[in-house]
Amino acid sequence: MAENTAIRIALTKGRLEKDTVGLFEKMGFDVTELREKGRRLILTIPGQNIEVVLAKAADVITYVGLGACDIGVVGKDTILEHGGTYFEIADLGFGRCKFALAGKKGTDFYGGVGVKTVATKYPNVTRHFFESKRMDVDIVKIEGSVELAPLLRIADGIVDIVETGTTLRENGLEVIEDVVPISARLIVNTVSMKLKKERIEELAAAMQNALA
Amino acid sequence: MKKYDLLTPEGTRDLIYEECAALRNVGEKLRKIFTGHGYTEVITPGLEFFDVFNNKSRHYPQEVLYKLTDGKGRLMVMRPDSTMPIARIVGTRLRTAPMPLKLFCNQTIYRANPKESGRDDEFFQSGIEIIGGEVMRADMEALSIAAEVMQSFEVDDYRFEIGDSGFFTLLSSKLGMKEQELEDLREYVMSKNYPALDEMLAGYGDNKYAKAIGSMTRLFGGSDVFAAARAVLPEEALPILDRLERVHESLCALGMGGKITVDLGFAAKSDAYYTGIVFNGYISGYGMPVLSGGRYDRLIADFGVDTPATGFAVNENAVAAALLKRSGGMLLPAPDVMIYAEDGCIADAIVHCRKLIADGMTAEYSDLADVNASRELAKTRKCRRFDIVSETGVTSEEIG
Repeated sequence: MAENTAIRIALTKGRLEKDTVGLFEKMGFDVTELREKGRRLILTIPGQNIEVVLAKAADVITYVGLGACDIGVVGKDTILEHGGTYFEIADLGFGRCKFALAGKKGTDFYGGVGVKTVATKYPNVTRHFFESKRMDVDIVKIEGSVELAPLLRIADGIVDIVETGTTLRENGLEVIEDVVPISARLIVNTVSMKLKKERIEELAAAMQNALA
Repeated sequence: MKKYDLLTPEGTRDLIYEECAALRNVGEKLRKIFTGHGYTEVITPGLEFFDVFNNKSRHYPQEVLYKLTDGKGRLMVMRPDSTMPIARIVGTRLRTAPMPLKLFCNQTIYRANPKESGRDDEFFQSGIEIIGGEVMRADMEALSIAAEVMQSFEVDDYRFEIGDSGFFTLLSSKLGMKEQELEDLREYVMSKNYPALDEMLAGYGDNKYAKAIGSMTRLFGGSDVFAAARAVLPEEALPILDRLERVHESLCALGMGGKITVDLGFAAKSDAYYTGIVFNGYISGYGMPVLSGGRYDRLIADFGVDTPATGFAVNENAVAAALLKRSGGMLLPAPDVMIYAEDGCIADAIVHCRKLIADGMTAEYSDLADVNASRELAKTRKCRRFDIVSETGVTSEEIG
C-alpha cells in the first residue's frame, strides 16, 4: 500500500491507459504529465495526491493484490486469466469486447467423439470454460496470432478476445460460441479499501459519474 | 545431476538473523498475551489425514493442500490450519474436559498458493480458540484479546475490522438459490464485485432481502454504518445488528475507538464456516489481513461434540516482515564479551565464560587459535570487551 494520504493507481499500458487518462481529463484532472510521460513509469496527477503507475495488464493485478498499488484499471480478460485477491468494485464500460470460441468456417467443432485441441493465449480461461461444460480438451498455449493454429491444423478451435471479428473473417474463421463479455474493471486492494475508504469511494464515484 | 540442491521451494524461505529474531519476537509477544489470559498451548501434528480438513462446515479445496500418501496409501496433508486439528482434539481426547476450553497454538501452516503469487506457502501461525462458553462473553474475550494483540505491535496505523457472517447467511437463505448461485453470490459479496452483484440481484426485483444484500456489501467504515444498516435491513436481521453494535461499543470502551472499522458485507468465504461475529486485523503496508478470526459454532460438531467456539489466528511471518520493514531492520544484540583461550587454558576459558553468563552477561567463546584473529572477531561481532584467559589469569580489553 502506498502512504496513507496518497492513492497509487496502476493503469494497464496501452488502450486502457489512454481511455482512463481521457476519463481523468473529463474529471478535471491535470493529465499533462500522463500525456507527456516519455519513458517514465511512475507519474503524478498534480493537486490530487494521486500517483499513477503504468504496467502490463497482469502486473496491475499483481501490484494491487500485493498492496503496492491501491487501485488498478485492468481488463476483465486479465482478471479471468490471472485470478488473485482484490475487490472488483466497478465496470468502467470501456475496453469492451468478448472472449469467444472460434473455428474454421463451416466446421462442426462439437461434432465427432475425438478430444478437441484448442489453441489460446488464455489457457486458464479456456480450461475453465470447458470444465464448466464438463468437456476434456487439449489446450495449446500460443503467444502470438492464435488464428494461425486452426489454419496450420494444430487446433480444432481457438479461444481468444474478439472485438469486431475482422481478423477471424479474413482468415476464414468464425465465432462458434461466446465465452464471456469483457470490459475494463476498477480493482482495489482489500486492505486499501478499508484503510482509505473515503478517498477510494470518492475517486470511484467520480470516475463512474464521468462515464455516465 | 542435482538442480535444486541450493534452492528452497517457492513460497518457503530461510529466516536468517534479524528476520528470525523478528519472527520469534512476535511469537513471544503473543505467547505472553495468551498465557497471561490463562490459555494453554497445544501442538498438533504437521502431517494429518486429509479427512480432518474435509468436513461439512469447512473443507479446503484440493488445490491449496500439500498432499502425500503414507505407507498404507492413505491420503495425508501438511496442516493447512490449526483450528480443525484442535476441533479434532476437542472431539476426541478432550471430549470430557470441563468447558470452556481455552487453547492456543503457535505452529507452521502449509498452503499451496498459486505459483508466483508472492505469498508464503509455509508460515508460522499463532492463535487462540475458546471452545464452549456463553456467546457474547466469549466473543468479547476473543475480540478484546485480538485487539490487545494488534496494540502489542506498537504501530499507529493498524485497523481492526468487525462484521457478522449472520447477515449474509440469513438474507441469502431467503432467496431460494441453488447451491452454485449461492456460491457465486458469496463470491461477489466477498470480493465486493459490485457490477456482478448488482446484475445478479437485479433478477430479484424489489425483494427486500436481495436489496439488503446489495446495500450491506457496500456498508463498511465507521460507526455510522449501523444507522445506515437499520434503514435497509429486514426486521429479522436487526438482532444481529444490535449485537454487533453492542460489541462495537464495548470495543470503543476498551480504547479501540479510532482503530475499529465495521464491514457489514462480510460473507464467510467459500463455505459456511463462520456463524457469527468475524474480525480482521490489518497493518498498513501489508496488503492482506495479518489477523483473522470469528465464531464457528458448527465445526466441532463435525468431530462429534456439539459445542460453540470462537477464535482467531495471526500470521506471524506477515507481522514480523511488516514490523521489520518499518523499523528499517532491527539490530541483533551483540555479545557483551568475547573470550580467547591461550594454549593450555581452554578449560579455564570455558569456566570464565560460564561465570560471565551466570552473572547475566552474554559471552562468546572464540574458537580461533590466534589472539589477533579473535580480537578482530570481537570487533566484527561488536562486542564491548575482549577477555584473554592465560595461565596468569584473565586480561580484559575494552573495545571502542
